[in-house]
Amino acid sequence: MNALDLTAVTVPGRLAGVSLALAPGTFAGLIGPNGSGKSTLLRVAAGVLPGGGDISWGGRPLAVIPALERGRLAAWVPQEAHFEFGFTVAAVVAQGRFAHGDDGRGVVEALARFDLTALAERPVNRLSGGERQRVLLARALATGAPLQLWDEPFAALDPRHALEGLQLAGELARGGRTILFSLHDLRVAHCLDIVIVLHEGGLCAAGPPDKVLTAELLRDVFGVRARNAPGLILELP
Amino acid sequence: MSAPLAALSPRAVRAALPVAFLLLGALVLVSLAVGGFPPARIWAGLWQHDELGANVLWNLRLPRLLVAMLVGAALSASGLLMQAFFRNNLASPDLLGVASGGAAGAVIAIGAGWVSASLLALPVCAVLGSLVATGAVLLLARHGTGPERLLLAGVALNALLGAVTSYVLSNSAISYEANARVIFWLLGGLEDRTWEHVAMIAPVLLAAVLLWPLDRPMDLLSLGAAEAQSLGVEVRALRRRMLALATVMTALTTAVAGSVGFVGLVVPHLLRLLVGPEHRRLVPLALVGGAVFVLACDLLARIAGITHVGIVTSLVGAPFFLWLLRRQR
Repeated sequence: MNALDLTAVTVPGRLAGVSLALAPGTFAGLIGPNGSGKSTLLRVAAGVLPGGGDISWGGRPLAVIPALERGRLAAWVPQEAHFEFGFTVAAVVAQGRFAHGDDGRGVVEALARFDLTALAERPVNRLSGGERQRVLLARALATGAPLQLWDEPFAALDPRHALEGLQLAGELARGGRTILFSLHDLRVAHCLDIVIVLHEGGLCAAGPPDKVLTAELLRDVFGVRARNAPGLILELP
Repeated sequence: MSAPLAALSPRAVRAALPVAFLLLGALVLVSLAVGGFPPARIWAGLWQHDELGANVLWNLRLPRLLVAMLVGAALSASGLLMQAFFRNNLASPDLLGVASGGAAGAVIAIGAGWVSASLLALPVCAVLGSLVATGAVLLLARHGTGPERLLLAGVALNALLGAVTSYVLSNSAISYEANARVIFWLLGGLEDRTWEHVAMIAPVLLAAVLLWPLDRPMDLLSLGAAEAQSLGVEVRALRRRMLALATVMTALTTAVAGSVGFVGLVVPHLLRLLVGPEHRRLVPLALVGGAVFVLACDLLARIAGITHVGIVTSLVGAPFFLWLLRRQR
């Protein structure tokens, strides 16, 4: 049973018949140039944007899963968040438990995992972009959902928080969760199980990073030349 | 989980609702007692010792009081719903044109003479007018609900619906009496409200009951529709219910009291500043706080000899709105 099945998913003008299957516990990255359809694919997979084709979570068609249960089965993190109202960081992360009857379980841990404990009582509409992103990630973690769909989760984070987020995502995947997230930093792609490449709204390649990220693909899809050279390597101490 | 950011301390936030109820109780007593008629005879009337006193109390002051409270609660709750719906704390039934829609509907009903045919004509036409306005706002705001877009859509709609009202007023075919009634609506009045008007606006109580369970989903919706949906909120159904409740409540207030401006903007906004953005607290407080605000404004109007409560709510509300605009980041 796959954690996520997409069959011929289509959104006119943005996605053209993308099919994809992820086994439980897969740590998958979604790459592609700007405008290639990454965000659209994640939104459709998360059920927040209607699209043609079939979507299943854990073998069940999305159409038959009631709204509340969807909140327990999958979490979606948008690329950017705009908060109009001044809920506290802790209150927003606690919203991740809405589908669990607001039981508040795991909220304190989720705050700690994204280094938000000190910001817990701050209003979210006064945070920086990277802090807001961590709040959204902590809320997704608090849902405890087996399927995690994150849209450029680390783009706004500083190097340490980005590395910690990546490490946490890897841990979740090893613990059996399925993670699919979009990214632009191709150097990170090598720690993933699967890399999915989108190009002009279509699926271009999918598979282990060393098989997929060939010099030809990088040239054809991204228009860049890959070259190994000594450079700055950042890792957690 | 934890207390939201609020101007008040957590203890004061918890005490806000009881305090609001106490304030409402005090205003009810003062409103019933104050007026040209001696309070002692009102008191005697309460125990049926004074026939005229009883008449003033039961047929003049009490209906007016109940209408004022229900109008306030309905407008304030509508504002709260619209602010959560559009994720914008400047949204409110009067700024968005929903109240003008109700007024235009009511004015057409009066001008065409339908009002004398049926008691239901006025509320039905007001609800229809408000629904049309709500639909127009939704269409205009489809591609984004930024403050500028929403407010500009409201300006345009208010101008359009104002033109409809002016047309009816300027139409020489309608009688002088109908014209006077139209002007009464436009100013927003609570004078001479009867039990008929109480009955007309009583459905607001039902709307308030239906609003109650929406508090938690509204929290999630107010931070983003797609996010709320992914967290387990049935967003389409929720938004339909919210809009229906806000529109009907606004329209009913228009049908019984004309346009009473700025309540829907000022009360929820002020409460959010005081107790934070969580709807679990805001929903009951908006209902009680709206009643307190309109009752206080009506009391002021009666003391100052102003016949229309809408004048007082706007005199208090408009400067507050300007202050809010200044305060925005």
